[in-house]
Order: sequence, then C-alpha cells, then structure tokens
Amino acid sequence: MAEEFDVEFIERGDRSARFLVRGLTPAFANGIRRAMIADVPTLSIDTVRFIENTSVMFDEMIALRLGLIPLTTPLDDFEVGETVTLALDVEGPATAYSGDIQSSVPEVQPADENVPIIELKQGQRLEFEADAVLDSGKTHAKHQGGVAVGYRHLQRVEVVGDAGEFEEQEPNILRGVIETEDGELVNADEFGNDLTQRYPGKEVEVHDVPGAFVFHVETDGSFSVDELVLRAIESLDLRAAELEEKVRV
Amino acid sequence: MELRVIEKTDEELRMEIAGEDHTFMNVLKGALLETEGVAAATYDMNPEQSGGQVDPILSVKTEGGMDPLDAVAAASSRIRDTTADLRDAYSAAI
Amino acid sequence: MSYKCSRCKRDVELDEYGGVRCPYCGHRVLLKERSRDIKEVKVE
Repeated sequence: MAEEFDVEFIERGDRSARFLVRGLTPAFANGIRRAMIADVPTLSIDTVRFIENTSVMFDEMIALRLGLIPLTTPLDDFEVGETVTLALDVEGPATAYSGDIQSSVPEVQPADENVPIIELKQGQRLEFEADAVLDSGKTHAKHQGGVAVGYRHLQRVEVVGDAGEFEEQEPNILRGVIETEDGELVNADEFGNDLTQRYPGKEVEVHDVPGAFVFHVETDGSFSVDELVLRAIESLDLRAAELEEKVRV
Repeated sequence: MELRVIEKTDEELRMEIAGEDHTFMNVLKGALLETEGVAAATYDMNPEQSGGQVDPILSVKTEGGMDPLDAVAAASSRIRDTTADLRDAYSAAI
Repeated sequence: MSYKCSRCKRDVELDEYGGVRCPYCGHRVLLKERSRDIKEVKVE
C-alpha cells in the first residue's frame, strides 16, 4: 500500500495546533481523534490524604477540584498505574493555587500555576498529601490529555464567475480551513468566516477535498500537541501489532 | 486485547475482541475492507442488544480462498504501515 | 468523644453519666471537633 501522507501546519503552538493531513481515510482520522481523547494517558490526582482541612469546603469537594488540575506528564518515565506523590500546605488568609503544590518528581508539576483551589480566610488551613496516577481518559475524564480535539474536511474554494452586478451580496458563512485556487491554506476566521469578504463580487463554489482532514488539537498542558498526536498514532499501532501477533499463532 | 473465536469456517469468521471500542474496531474494519480477498467485514459493539455483552464482535467474510484469520493479520499489518507512514509524515512536518 | 463548648470554647470530654453539658460553664451546646486522623479520599 503506497499511501502518501502529507502533513502541513496552519497554526502551531505548544498546547494548541491546527494541521492538515492529506491521504487519510475517515476511519483512520476518527481513530486518531478518539485515541487522542481517550487513550493517551495523563497523570492526575487520584487519592488525597487530608492532614488538615479547616476550609469552608468538604474534603471530597477539594479532592474533586484537585483531580482536575492538569499535571505535566513525561510519558517515557511512567507506565499506566504508576503514581507520583504531591503535597500542599497553605494557611489563610491566602488562596491555595495549583502552583503551591509540591511534587516529589521534578518533571511532574502542575501544568498551570494559577488554578485556584480554594480561598482560605484567617485561621483556615489546607494541608494534604496526594497521589497522582497515570491512566487514560477512558477511565475518567480527568485523565484526558486532549481537551479540544476535532477535525473538519479541507474545503476547496473555486471562483466560478462574477456575482450579479446589481445584486445585494448575501454573506457566505464558512468555518474551518479553505484551500484557494493557488493552493494556499487560509483559516476562515482570517476573513471573518465570510467568503464574500475574501472574494467580493465573485461567485464561488465550495467543495470538500476527499481524504484531507484539518485537525484542531488542544492539550490540557500535560504534554505538547506533538506528543499527543504521536502517542495517539502509536496507540493504534500497538493495538494493530498485538492483534497481528495474536492472530498469526 | 483478548480474542475469542465464536465461529470459524474457511471463509467466515466471528470473533470477540475484548477491551476494544470504536476507536480501533472502525480502523480495523476500514483496513479489512481495503484488504484483497475480503468480501465483507463489520463489527458490532452491542450484538442484538444483548445484556452484558459489551465487547465488540468482528465479522469477516472472505472470497477466493483467503483464510479470514489471515485477512485480519493482513489488515493489522496494513494499519501498522499506515501508522508508520503517518508518524513519519507528521514528524517531517514539525 | 471530644467536643468543644460553644460558649467557653474549652475542650469537653463526655461520659455516659454527665449528660450533654459543659462541666466548666454548664452550657448545653457542644460542638464536635474534626478528628485529627488523616482522612483519605478517593477522587471520583
């Protein structure tokens, strides 16, 4: 099978990116998307031992908030099920932030330092020790590494003629990424999602490009977009390898 | 991933693939349909609304003397080629 | 069982004979203090 893939970035950041993949089947595109959401594991707080909690909230409510704090996850160093110990000790008057959490492993830190956990008044104190465990989004949504992952077809826009000279042009709203006739990739929000802004006075036709998917991937900060995408592909690969091996015997 | 063959003849296979969901099954089905010698391939996540059966069941029908288990193996290796190509293409674009 | 008197704020030990009453000031409203044990919570 000589499938030629072509990957091109439209936007590229550490935590968020938009890229085009050509030559993909819809099944595969969806497989990667689902793997990014549910199968690439992240570390997340799973058990909390409260030493002191004189805040206004129950232990269980604080524990739930702690579970939702993204932690940087070096996937090469951990297996699913392995844990990291974290601790926090904040005395009021102050707000306990995710950045106050101390970690026993330097590579594992809160991905953001400004997530408020709880506001503490004078005399209130929060002290706990917690275990973060590596697991996948399938077991609990707090382990999802990809938080906004989706794809759309690439849309090819062709100018087919001029719009009627005296006609009032209606807005032609479109989302996603378009491919112009010169092969340029343009995000629709660059022209206000309105094709009449980019092609004033023109009659245009829009067609989906077969096999061309524009992915938008955003991570929660546990790891970079590249890590997430490559791990998702790897997870499909590992399952195919396992099936192949089991079927051959 | 645990496999349990439910039914197997020279040209037909029904097999439970425990622990998998749409993520992998749909990719596998897609690859099987592209494999030579496969007449039909599908999977069912909730066969006949059966209570308790939650693992997907893969059904493959082949033609031209292709063994259905070989077809599954061929499809798996096809997926592996695709993932390898895709990984290379992505890495090249970084 | 350790409680705290809501009026005089002193620690109070209750036994089965004395009834619910602070032995220091006679107040009948006692507050139960949180245990000093470490409490383990599973995040779910």
